[in-house]
Amino acid sequence: MTLFRRARRNKQLVAGTILATMVIVLGIVGPWIFGAYDKQNLLAGHKPLGTPGNFFGTDALGRDLAARATYGIRISLIVAISVTALAVVLGMGIGLVAGYVKGRVDSAISLVVDFVWGFPLILVAVLAAASIGSGLLPVILAVGLVNTVAIARVVRGEVLGLSEKDFVVAAHAGGYSTSHILLRHIIPNVMPVAFVLSSYYVAVAIIAEASLSFVGLGAQPPTPSLGQMVSDGRNFLRLNHWESTIPGILIFAMVLSVSLIGDGLRDLLDPRLRTAVERASAK
Amino acid sequence: MTGVLLGVENLSVGVHSSGLSYDIVRDISFDLYQNEILAVVGESGCGKSLTALSILSLQSSPPLRVTSGAVMFGGRDLLQLPRTELRKVRGKEISMIFQDPMSALDPMFTVGTILTTAVRAHQQVNKARAEEISLAALADAGIEDPRRRFGEYAFQLSGGISQRVMIALALVNNPKVIIADEPTTALDVTVQAQILERLLMLKKDRGMSIILITHNLGVVASVADRVAVMYSGEIVETGSVADVFRGAQHPYTHGLLRAVPRLGSAAKSLTAIPGRVPQPTEIPAGCVFAPRCERVTNVCHEVRPALLIRGPSAVRCHNPID
Amino acid sequence: MRVVLRRTLTMLLLLLVSSFAVFAAIRLSGGDVTAARLPASASAEDRALFRQQVGLDKPIINQYFTYLGKLATGDLGNSLTNNARLSTLATEKIRNSLILGGSSMVVIFALGIPLGMLAAMRRNSWLDTGITSVSVAGMAIPNFWLALISIYVFSTLLGWLPSAGQGGIRYLILPTLVLSAEGIALTVRMTRSAMLENLGQDFVRTLRAAGVSERRIHFKHVLRSSLMPLISLAGLRVGQIAGYALVVETIFGWAGVGQALVNAVLRRDYPVVQLFSLLLVALVTFGNLMATVGYTLANPRLRKHQ
Repeated sequence: MTLFRRARRNKQLVAGTILATMVIVLGIVGPWIFGAYDKQNLLAGHKPLGTPGNFFGTDALGRDLAARATYGIRISLIVAISVTALAVVLGMGIGLVAGYVKGRVDSAISLVVDFVWGFPLILVAVLAAASIGSGLLPVILAVGLVNTVAIARVVRGEVLGLSEKDFVVAAHAGGYSTSHILLRHIIPNVMPVAFVLSSYYVAVAIIAEASLSFVGLGAQPPTPSLGQMVSDGRNFLRLNHWESTIPGILIFAMVLSVSLIGDGLRDLLDPRLRTAVERASAK
Repeated sequence: MTGVLLGVENLSVGVHSSGLSYDIVRDISFDLYQNEILAVVGESGCGKSLTALSILSLQSSPPLRVTSGAVMFGGRDLLQLPRTELRKVRGKEISMIFQDPMSALDPMFTVGTILTTAVRAHQQVNKARAEEISLAALADAGIEDPRRRFGEYAFQLSGGISQRVMIALALVNNPKVIIADEPTTALDVTVQAQILERLLMLKKDRGMSIILITHNLGVVASVADRVAVMYSGEIVETGSVADVFRGAQHPYTHGLLRAVPRLGSAAKSLTAIPGRVPQPTEIPAGCVFAPRCERVTNVCHEVRPALLIRGPSAVRCHNPID
Repeated sequence: MRVVLRRTLTMLLLLLVSSFAVFAAIRLSGGDVTAARLPASASAEDRALFRQQVGLDKPIINQYFTYLGKLATGDLGNSLTNNARLSTLATEKIRNSLILGGSSMVVIFALGIPLGMLAAMRRNSWLDTGITSVSVAGMAIPNFWLALISIYVFSTLLGWLPSAGQGGIRYLILPTLVLSAEGIALTVRMTRSAMLENLGQDFVRTLRAAGVSERRIHFKHVLRSSLMPLISLAGLRVGQIAGYALVVETIFGWAGVGQALVNAVLRRDYPVVQLFSLLLVALVTFGNLMATVGYTLANPRLRKHQ
């Protein structure tokens, strides 16, 4: 059975992809449809769900929730994906070097990696915010750093394992250049693991960004962040819980879809991968 | 060789799950007599291990399942016993030794703990007494310093020692029967001889009966009293080792024996049996060996041969050699 | 054992380095300390004098070691917000966080392991599917949202539990559950997969053949092997909880280290940020170390350093 057909049979992958697509479409199309996210209308105050003209209602400042929420999706996704993309590239680079070159370079890299790896993301982000100030930048830095390290760690393990494998030893024996071995043999074998791992870390990044915005660090007003919206609506739960619930559902949907895709990919690609990814996911 | 201790009757075991349905072991029957070593010999994949596991219902179920047949022991059909009753038989009346001792022992516990656990699963004794019994079993299995091994873990032992530990585990509750599934396959040749030696001793000194699963004809020749030859899930011939080796009746057995290279023979090339073993899903009608048989006749392709019993031997063939 | 010692030393070293990094970052970035402590009318010279007196004009490294020295003697400084002595503040907050964090750890493993075992033993049944799905969902819910939902449901709607503050078991329940949620889900999944993997191993068949009961096989043998990855998980979880506590404590108004740190960052109360981030970093490092050490001790193969 080809990879594609197996993919279609994998329930998690299918469910996750559908959900993700729905959310992404919302994020892309939403702001167009719903208009500006910072248009205030102080007199109108809280409008409930389903008000004509304001599909999800409005928040305390009269801003349209639908506009804000869908824009918030964009923010979450952009942050998460760009951070993860960066982390994957950097992490793979570091991991490749550590695992391929081995020796003292590896020991030095591993030292730092092992230390940073176990750190809770939020703590690092808060510390970054303490040093740099609030805003998206510390979030991106913190999340990027920890993710890079985590990916580096797994990639290093994989590369170490691969270099023992016969086909790599054979390539060395055949006199192939380092870049050839890396490009043709090692990287293609590491990609699946990195892929699955990055889906996990996209989910982590989404939650981290939302959590930070929730406590006040992270995206600053008027830029809407889903986490911040949840926080804003906190005081009005009795009045109109949708203000917090809708952004919450959206975050949940994003994270769930990414997790499902990640799990599905993992099952699909190789049962052997499971141990490496699980160990790494034990954060 | 007096009475029948264990009788396998028309046993069929196969895969029956998620759309797949085929038998790997088909309608086999054999008897184990008292105080004998019965070898079940055949190529890899012929179903001999599965047969051994099925006797105590240890096959991986799902997906493997016994489709029909019975295993008679002590007047009862083991396959029909409820879980609790079967537990009393396993390890106490019938024990089993497995092929790879290193992976067959729990890596988190010491040899001693594994043994005493087995003892206390069947005997109501205190810890000290269980230890005594275990140490004695280790000695019986031929281990020189039982005390020392008692406190060691499986990964600290060599292949030969760990196999002896398995034997001790099998002996610890004084069973009547031992089923040994390829006990020497994973071991060095010198160690093999020692283990077989030990098994032989168990038969002679303790009057045990042993079912010895193997693919090695040399092993059969050195220790077994009787042999059952399996091919592609069926037993094609049974008889005393002497009879079968001197004059095999089934063409497959004959081919097997002929394929063993002998030192000093003038033959210039190895005699192999042409063709290949059929997959369990593509079993031909008629005799399963017919496609590869030298002595094949028309009826062989159509009708599955019945078991021809000639005295102490039996053969399943339309055209046996005699 | 040597590996463990070496690990501990490197961890301590890195701890030192990272605490210095935090220290430096905060000092370098921070706003003007004088703005908080001196009246607005103070002149530039006054400010310079003040900085000199407080020691802010010396090189960062010196400042750091002075700070460490002070820590060693127990002088933790004062909060910029209300000039409270940090030592008293810290003890109180630490105690609260320990109560919350400790309860969470207990709940995570007291619930997670049995549920995971149950799911493994009743594999593919409705129970298993149910437990597994809830775990997947549990890991996807952002904890702050879970906190809000639980407050809404249990406090606002049902009125069973208080929504914030401290003062008894009733106040502890919701925050603990929210803090443990992800940990429970993860533990369930790991226990289940470890048990399933071990159940397929050869040694289980040997034990069955020896007549050992299924119950004993599951609880004594398979569980023991499955517990090993959980030890690493526990150590790492300590760090994760420290992180999540920042958010959870804030939402539930639980006066612990996490809430204090977040508020301090928002208010730029540097001494507090310094101390509490140091504490948390130390805790996380300790947890990670325990994870490694624990794994080595639990695995007989590693213990005998063969």
